[in-house]
Amino acid sequence: MYQENHQGPKRGVSVYSYSGEYGWSMNLEDCLADMYDMGAHGLEILANGHIDNYPNPTEEWLENWFRLLDKYEIIPVEYGHWIDSRLYSHEYVKNGRELDVEESYEQLSRDIRLAHKLGFTVMRTKMGVIDPTNTPVKNWREIIKRALPLAEECNVRMCPELHMPTRLKSRYVDDYMEFILQTGTKYFGFNVDFGTFQNVFEGSFRLPGMPEDGSPCSLPEDIIPILPYVYCCHAKFNYMDENFEETTIPYPEIIRVLKDNGYNGYMLSEYEGAHKDEPGFVTDQLRRHHIMMKRILGF
Amino acid sequence: MLEKPIVQQRGFRNIVKDGEIIGFQVKVRSTYYRGIYLSEIFPGAMVVDGKVYPKKDVIWEVNGKEYTTDQMETETNVHWCCTNDTATLKVYVPGGLSQGYHDVEVRFKFSSSYLPPQLQTHMDPDEELPETDIPGLMAGNGRHKRRLLLV
Repeated sequence: MYQENHQGPKRGVSVYSYSGEYGWSMNLEDCLADMYDMGAHGLEILANGHIDNYPNPTEEWLENWFRLLDKYEIIPVEYGHWIDSRLYSHEYVKNGRELDVEESYEQLSRDIRLAHKLGFTVMRTKMGVIDPTNTPVKNWREIIKRALPLAEECNVRMCPELHMPTRLKSRYVDDYMEFILQTGTKYFGFNVDFGTFQNVFEGSFRLPGMPEDGSPCSLPEDIIPILPYVYCCHAKFNYMDENFEETTIPYPEIIRVLKDNGYNGYMLSEYEGAHKDEPGFVTDQLRRHHIMMKRILGF
Repeated sequence: MLEKPIVQQRGFRNIVKDGEIIGFQVKVRSTYYRGIYLSEIFPGAMVVDGKVYPKKDVIWEVNGKEYTTDQMETETNVHWCCTNDTATLKVYVPGGLSQGYHDVEVRFKFSSSYLPPQLQTHMDPDEELPETDIPGLMAGNGRHKRRLLLV
């Protein structure tokens, strides 16, 4: 049964997890059928990856989309998309050309309309970045501001993903918060990727911008101040062991913080480990992941 | 469903028009997790049995339409859903390829705006790079080889 009536965090899957098999051993229906087995009712797709003929799906594709959602009791939760600031890649190499506000809005508005058409209410809005610590493009405020009326009209929330090496306590999360508070908008918020809470790393793994002493980018409680504006989470995981534990990311603490502070959205499993292209490997990992979440959540 | 390797055996054949062999083609997919616009692709040469066909001679067919590599650079609205669809790379060389096995290498990289531009340097797949420490996190060296059999 659907989980929509449950208050608190809910379980879902990002089709990104299946990307090592997608197209050659699994199709979209296979992914949704797999989710059904897990009782994972929330879905993220990547628009550019999983909508045939994107950005102009055929009527036939749309019909099949709604048939699949119905058949496997799936809520379309999050629509992953990009604003490719370096769309003119060859010009970018020659002269640094990036999309201006209108060109970005053209991409963004097309995705807002398509997300709405497919039934999504949250968008993972990935903007271009300009430096090794993933600072977004300089004109992001103008782009998002331009799109707020359409997002409201279509009832979708645009959410940049806060992803390792981003710290939840950082200047540009503060900048996003300032924008949200200034505009008072409900149509721009956050997707928090649990990778930011990863506290065990392989060897000396560090990305630019991460704490140099080996501590995690963020602590679970760091999410509390922004939580009212977190509309979706990527339940990132690297490996689920045979005891159904993720030993690199503190799931029990994260989920407790989410529950205690009134989070009512989905946690979409996003597998980021190895062996993605071995048939069946990710399915097994996702099932382990959902056993873990099911045990913690109680449903 | 596609084949797992990037370079596909299915679709590898000579191109025949009016009874004449006017070239050959090979299909490719990508292991990238999302599709890309043609303007985001950095195509390179095709190499068959050591013979180099420069990128200007490699025509890309995407969504049923042909593009030169020059045309691709400005095609910001043509999207290749490379997660579950192929692009067909064609070389119009009279006579095509001979019957038998061929070592085929296709070259392409692609831009990812969500990655730091500092990780997106050396985008030309025809550029010779050292084996180690290849820049361009997602794209690798952009060279994909497979031995294919032509009937």
